Amino acid sequence: MAITNIKNLKEFSTANERFEGAHLLCPGCAHSMIVRELMNATDDNLVIASNTGCLEVSTAVYPYTSWDTSWIHIGFENAATAATGAEAMFKARKRKGTLPNPDAPVKFVAFGGDGSTFDIGFQWLSGAMERGHDFTYICLDNENYANTGGQRSSATPVGAHTSTAQAGSVSYGKKQKKKDIVAIMAAHGAPYVAQLAPNKWKSMAKGFQKALETEGPCFINTVSACTTEWKFDPKDTIHITDLATDSLMFPIYEIINGTELNILYRPKNIIPVEEYLAAQGRYKHLFKPQYRHVIDEIQKDIDAKWEYLQRREEAKV
Amino acid sequence: MAKKFELNEVEVWDGNYAASQALRQAQVDVVAAYPITPSTPIVENYGAYQANGFVDGEFVMVESEHGAMSGCVGAAAAGGRVATATSSQGFALMTEVLYQASGMRMPIVLTVVNRALASPLNVRGDHSDMYLGRDSGWIQLDAFNSQEAYDLTLCAFKIAEHLDVRLPTMVHQDGFTTSHKAQNVRPLQDEVAYKFVGDYKPVDDMLDFTRPVTHGAQTEEDWHFEHKAKQHKALMDSPKVIDEVFKEFKELTGREYKRVESYMMDDAEVAMVILGSSVETAVLAAKELREKEGIKVGIIAPRNFRPFPFDLIRDELDRENLKAVVCMDKSAPGGAMGALFNEVAGALTSTKARPMVTNYIYGLGGRDFSIEEAQRIMKEQKAHADAGHITTQIQQFSGVRGPKLGFYETRRGK
Amino acid sequence: MSKGVLATDKRGVRELGAEKKVGWDEVPQGVVLNSFDDNVDNLSHLRPEERPYSDFNSFTATVASWRVIKPVYNRDICIDCQNCWVWCPDTSIISRDKQMIGIDYDHCKGCGVCVEVCPTNPKSLLMFTEAVDNEEALSGWPEKKKKEKK
Repeated sequence: MAITNIKNLKEFSTANERFEGAHLLCPGCAHSMIVRELMNATDDNLVIASNTGCLEVSTAVYPYTSWDTSWIHIGFENAATAATGAEAMFKARKRKGTLPNPDAPVKFVAFGGDGSTFDIGFQWLSGAMERGHDFTYICLDNENYANTGGQRSSATPVGAHTSTAQAGSVSYGKKQKKKDIVAIMAAHGAPYVAQLAPNKWKSMAKGFQKALETEGPCFINTVSACTTEWKFDPKDTIHITDLATDSLMFPIYEIINGTELNILYRPKNIIPVEEYLAAQGRYKHLFKPQYRHVIDEIQKDIDAKWEYLQRREEAKV
Repeated sequence: MAKKFELNEVEVWDGNYAASQALRQAQVDVVAAYPITPSTPIVENYGAYQANGFVDGEFVMVESEHGAMSGCVGAAAAGGRVATATSSQGFALMTEVLYQASGMRMPIVLTVVNRALASPLNVRGDHSDMYLGRDSGWIQLDAFNSQEAYDLTLCAFKIAEHLDVRLPTMVHQDGFTTSHKAQNVRPLQDEVAYKFVGDYKPVDDMLDFTRPVTHGAQTEEDWHFEHKAKQHKALMDSPKVIDEVFKEFKELTGREYKRVESYMMDDAEVAMVILGSSVETAVLAAKELREKEGIKVGIIAPRNFRPFPFDLIRDELDRENLKAVVCMDKSAPGGAMGALFNEVAGALTSTKARPMVTNYIYGLGGRDFSIEEAQRIMKEQKAHADAGHITTQIQQFSGVRGPKLGFYETRRGK
Repeated sequence: MSKGVLATDKRGVRELGAEKKVGWDEVPQGVVLNSFDDNVDNLSHLRPEERPYSDFNSFTATVASWRVIKPVYNRDICIDCQNCWVWCPDTSIISRDKQMIGIDYDHCKGCGVCVEVCPTNPKSLLMFTEAVDNEEALSGWPEKKKKEKK
């Protein structure tokens, strides 16, 4: 495996990009930051599958592709299966000696948004993880169906306004808690599972490299701040992501073999979640007097989760 | 290297076993599959070949039929031979991906053991699933017995993967009546079968890293129509290759296949158009009627349901002596005439002879189709021919209990 | 910056949607898009300027018209930290040999992330409206800001 030098950003910046510009993602979209970083983290050949979603509809609209690697999209739900079907073919052809570049190292990667990962593609992902293929699945988690105009998914957090879980005079937005996809994937016994964020570029690049290097099915949930549906200025994508990681709304951690949890980022100053929420239009209704209790509940959940993650880390489980 | 499987000159195989042997002999690189009655034994048999060293390829048991076809598309894009099997609800579940597979021009072979679609749930054979695939852009071949299930599966790889075709291909056989009925089958020896199918020729191979390729791009209103037109053209041109492959197969085995099989049509006054395992019943019924009652009945059986052999059907039916044609649909029509009726009637509109044409819905959910039932329907056609007009309703149900069920009267000849 | 290292014959000449609309007989089988016209060996070791991009590669297209404000880059202040490179969502920060050498104005959509993540004082990237000439922008670059006493 040829990994890129990620000791510092200067070294990392010598990577030759394989994800091209003039794609159609929104200005300031974090999806492409994450995808670029994954592709730049390795020199190996990549076979990439994408679920239908923002990434797919923005990077392969005929007659343009933004991918300089092998890439496939089939449907909304089946990128994990497309990638693992290709991986099975790789094994078969390797055994039979019919590969065109037999010595070329290759990694299989699937991308999905949170809608296709947490909801519609959940079964396909679970199946692929259980079958033990050598691939890495990366969820670009922007906590809603952004491609279709911002509907709620099971990744949408409590209190967020979406077009199908609206805030209004008698509703504070989504009532249900976000599905804990990281725990679910770890429960598959996957050798490497992590939650990473693009503002912490180094831990993200390291996590990507670990996943690519690890044999077997690996899963990474990445927070992908969405300027359009979270409602913030495109220039603030990294700032918002900083607030997400420093408020511990998105803790950064990994779980190895389902049994060893390591926290990868501990904020020096943990900020109240209120600051994170206040920076986004999708939460602005929570600052009305009748909904302020929701902010307290969100903070309580964050504190409890952080406490839980630390206890697991200390206990090495 | 996979072990050779010792085969006798004549084996006793059911349709499922015959299909699975063809998959094994084609040395499929990836089979991604999910079990469903009545096609389950195809993947079970394949699993046994794999467990005992008879296949070198990967056998991926996925979590659903949708996953099975998704895995097949991913594998096919990675440049190798791919196949799977399914039936009924599984077929319905993979329908989304059937369209994607054909639009992406992945030459996957799907052996379909035809079974009714729920609701109500039913495991027996009818053609609901086969009909569900008719607009999916796949080539559809129809086997009437075990031997044909074997032969056509071998042919399917050669047709689908031909560089002038590159379209996914289904081989249909009827649930239970073919899939579970042991019959004499004359297989080819492994090396002969593989030589006939040939090596796979990759196109736009995702594992060729010197030629990075994007599969599954989106097209909107400015490009979609052109791509669908090109795909349709490929399907409409595929008969040339299908005929070539059938010819080559005949030279190898002596067994002849045609895109439209016809029996006793030269002097036929009435004809029955029918699909699947019912074809053999219809042929027996027609022979007996000719002998006993002198009614000149002919049988037409499309071997190739898609692309629909419009031209060949028209040739068969454009005969001066032919007066009445009945199209037998073994699928609930859902508020229309049966699909076979519509296809055949469409072909008849541009014939000179313009015979009368009627429609029967029969055999749903595995209801038995007997020689007597076939003969009753054939005699009814003779009555139409003698009267010079359709004497019944145009669409009728046959073999269902309760008051007679039929729809529409003719406006011709009365 | 001039197009410099990224200049190719077909670079940035086509707005998305302005490509020639060919008929059904000329579109590729199976809607596939080849990224390159020729074979490539060891792609991750080929710099963009060394690659045989095909017309199907979005590298050859431009989204410049999306932009209403643009980043302008001041080489004199830049410390080549590469923050702008790692966080650019449009692969529009051109770095070679650990040096930031400019902005790809064919692909930059003007989001402004690069300016926000720039750590120098004053910033070595600032946003200007499209109408402002880069030379003009550079001539009026702000002075170093003093830290405000709290």
